Amino acid sequence: MVDQPFWITVIAAFIVLNVMLIGMAYMTWFERRMLAQMQDRVGPNRTGPFGLLQPIADGVKLLAKEDIIPEHADRRIFLIAPLITFVTAPLIALFIPFGDPITIAGQEISLAVSDISVAALFVIGISSVGTYGIILGGYASANRYSLLGALRSAAQVISYEIVLGLSLVGVFMLAGSLSLVDIVNEQRNTLDFFGVAIPNWFIFSQPLAFVLFMIAGVAETNRPPFDLPEAETELTGGFHTEYSGFRWSFYFLGEFIAVIVISLLAATLFLGGIDGPFADGVWWLLPKTFIFLFFFVWLRATLPRFRYDQLMGLAWKVLLPLVLFNVMLTGLIILIRDGEIF
Amino acid sequence: MSTEVLVFDILAIIAVIAALGVVLARNPVHSAVSLIITFINLAAIFVMLHAEFLAAVQLLVYTGAVTVLIVFVIFLVRVDDLPEFYGGNPVQRIFALLIGLALLGEVAAAILTRSAIGASDIWTADAIADAGGNVQVLGQILYTDYVLAIQITAVVLLVGTIAALVLARPESSTLPGRVKRTGLISLAHPRGADRGIAPALPAGLEATRRGETPGVRFDDRGVVLVDNAEDFTETTAWGGDVLEGED
Repeated sequence: MVDQPFWITVIAAFIVLNVMLIGMAYMTWFERRMLAQMQDRVGPNRTGPFGLLQPIADGVKLLAKEDIIPEHADRRIFLIAPLITFVTAPLIALFIPFGDPITIAGQEISLAVSDISVAALFVIGISSVGTYGIILGGYASANRYSLLGALRSAAQVISYEIVLGLSLVGVFMLAGSLSLVDIVNEQRNTLDFFGVAIPNWFIFSQPLAFVLFMIAGVAETNRPPFDLPEAETELTGGFHTEYSGFRWSFYFLGEFIAVIVISLLAATLFLGGIDGPFADGVWWLLPKTFIFLFFFVWLRATLPRFRYDQLMGLAWKVLLPLVLFNVMLTGLIILIRDGEIF
Repeated sequence: MSTEVLVFDILAIIAVIAALGVVLARNPVHSAVSLIITFINLAAIFVMLHAEFLAAVQLLVYTGAVTVLIVFVIFLVRVDDLPEFYGGNPVQRIFALLIGLALLGEVAAAILTRSAIGASDIWTADAIADAGGNVQVLGQILYTDYVLAIQITAVVLLVGTIAALVLARPESSTLPGRVKRTGLISLAHPRGADRGIAPALPAGLEATRRGETPGVRFDDRGVVLVDNAEDFTETTAWGGDVLEGED
């Protein structure tokens, strides 16, 4: 861990959070353009070159809209709930290592804003707190559709969180640490794969965990095909039926930040993060993240929504046994590798 | 005042105010939200004390899972229907007070003992750092000295899970001889799969029912199942004559 003064951490956190906000704005643009391409449409192309100013125009429009509060709503909770989703999502980015520690004017600065020893667990914990935004928002709206959406979301997120957490256990066992910095450093080694030297990225040694992590990640962010909390065919708008204006967009933006964060995590945990040929750094992390961002959009354009009972059945009867099997298998292989058995 | 003290003061003040909110709020959902705020602030204080694993567990288990279930129950139960929700009878109140005082006494005793005798354990901050960190030490101890306790906890949880499964089964599937429904999480009426009483059959069909006509069966609801519909029916769907010898 790097010893640095408090104010440097604050500045680093400020920079990372603002980059996340800009990234989120352009994620909306990217998704709309990309979906349009996949569906043989044009997409937003009027505001600025290639529609690049569209996120700003959207923001101005949403800010100018009326903020409606239903008469029977639980007022205080109704006002706070969207902020919970919006605030917790980018916090996770603070744990991601964006590069090796650098030295500026004799002061060593860690590029992982918060390098605590259980960062990976914190990430899961924070994302579970983010669910309260949806649950409380759905409750406070005093609307049956909202409440149903909130209940679905609670059940879905609790189920898939277990899969998400357990899918990482194999990675933790191989890295011997819960710190994201240690996990990345472990992946910088090379792995001898039947005589061929390949990078020790955990996607190669934990392929099953990677697939399960991605499935659980999509469910955790409420993205299609797991977007049941807001299934418009059954629930009008789900938990955000009664929300309007910028308060509604907090939910919307929170979801996009969560997508970016899950992509960053997947790149860090399974694709080696900043590891790459020539020189390690954030320029390797970004393209890897971009692959996953594209994957999220691709999924949305391709797959129809799950049915609710299928969703829960998938989590508890298929993914959970698989993820436990992966933990056992990893433990067995580690024992064989270390010569403890056989 | 150092930054650390300032941050601690902020966290502690919010935690105490939120904890008061848990007991003072009239609306149970507001109580639950206050509880969440308290938990998050406690987790932050744990991080400042270098007990990061405890903080992560606090977030994951208590804030993320247990409180979600509490909120769930509050949503589904109308508080106005609960007897004496806003009052409670005197006996309950006295017992609640006693239990609260006992818990407070326990915590106070633990803290006072610790500050009186100091950290005399072998696990000082330096020893933990040497052994690889908080998580590693905790894992070592849990899976060596306390392995039996872990196993017992696992069994207790398993029993709880099985009990929940038994309680949640559809009513009809627990009775012998009824339709067993598997592979579905059903929100429907448990009797939705019940069979009606099979109607009395015309006399001529009794031979068929006993399985004497090839190609024709009855299922247990009294529905006729045939291999080829045209062999069985005498009236066509269009109401005309059966067309013999035409395909």
